[in-house]
Amino acid sequence: MTPKSNYAPVGSVWCDNTTMNLLKANDYVAKIIREKLKDLLVINLCSSPGSGKTTLMQETSKLLNEKLNMAVLVGDPETERDAIRMKQVGINALQIVTGGMCHIEAQMILQALDHINLDGVDVLIIENVGNLVCPAAFDLGEDFRVTMISSTEGDDKPKKYPRMFLTSELMLVSKADLLPYVPFSINAVTQDARDINADLEVITISSLNGVGLLQWCAWLERKIIEKKQKSFRIN
Amino acid sequence: MHEISLVRNIFKTLEEAFPGQLGNISNISMRVGLLSNVQPILMQNAFAAVKQDEQDCRASLCIEVLPIIIYCVSCNKNTEVHNFKFFCSCGSPSRKIVQGEELLISRVEFFDSDMTRVRKQEDT
Ligand SMILES: Nc1nc2c(ncn2[C@@H]2O[C@H](COP(=O)(O)OP(=O)(O)OP(=O)(O)O)[C@@H](O)[C@H]2O)c(=O)[nH]1
Ligand SMILES: [Mg+2]
Ligand SMILES: [Zn+2]
Repeated sequence: MTPKSNYAPVGSVWCDNTTMNLLKANDYVAKIIREKLKDLLVINLCSSPGSGKTTLMQETSKLLNEKLNMAVLVGDPETERDAIRMKQVGINALQIVTGGMCHIEAQMILQALDHINLDGVDVLIIENVGNLVCPAAFDLGEDFRVTMISSTEGDDKPKKYPRMFLTSELMLVSKADLLPYVPFSINAVTQDARDINADLEVITISSLNGVGLLQWCAWLERKIIEKKQKSFRIN
Repeated sequence: MHEISLVRNIFKTLEEAFPGQLGNISNISMRVGLLSNVQPILMQNAFAAVKQDEQDCRASLCIEVLPIIIYCVSCNKNTEVHNFKFFCSCGSPSRKIVQGEELLISRVEFFDSDMTRVRKQEDT
């Protein structure tokens, strides 16, 4: 932005690269988080409301339990219900109530880090607010974004919410147990998503009957190992 | 919701750059990339709503939407993305975004524009 001056401006002032405050501040905080969490894997899990994020966290913790230590920060506009559900199955979880806001911002994560014990944690999963639009613009300092889309939402979502899929590493197609009952094509959704992001990995899962959960956990383990190797090389 | 906070930030950004001059602004131009998820019409509504809280702000808002452009490493050239297909004409996929994620204030115009003075400033 043009430097401040004592003279009242007249006419037009061209402003080069005046990125909006909000995003500039967010990206700055995201960098701090990334610096702070060098030693553990951080995942930003995004989806529409009700795709099955919290349920997946519950199932994932059961499967990882022996091998890996996981923590969850869960964002919702209101209520602590999701964190309670996760704590009930023994997950180290903390609720971020966004106060009606449709996405989590980096500042909220940074503040939450003071209230969650991450000693010995291998992976921190951020369950974002159910919304495929706004969270796409907010870097939370994560290593990878994972987008979940359930079989009941329709297979046309990637092209409707391109930025989310563009910035994701992995797409989870959830509620696979319902595939026989709904018109949803895994091929179509994969094709559309890979038009946007050719490198996108895809795993089909069901938290109900367990399909794909081992594959998802193996993906997590692989990324955890890669992160640890990277942080080892840097340190 | 999101648009409202964006608009609040337009005012915050302008207040920082031009302290006390908000009332003198006649037009604000923005450039928003197609990927920024900003809907011009919603932004206009949010702007009208937030403007009421800002004393004596008479500015209008002008939003230019920018198409997505990607860079292809193999061809060393830029291509516009249509229908969210992030592929170069050579067939290689690319996520190197050259344009399309912008959320910028590109120009601010002020009332009391003595155009000759402006031109002189531009000349020097
Ligand atoms: N059939 C089926 N239902 C599921 C599956 N996973 C979750 N559900 C159901 O889907 C509903 C929503 O699940 P949640 O885990 O709360 O979804 P969420 O994404 O955390 O929801 P929000 O946090 O509110 O956005 C619940 O009724 C779950 O029981 C699944 O794999 N198959
Ligand atoms: Mg949930
Ligand atoms: Zn090319």
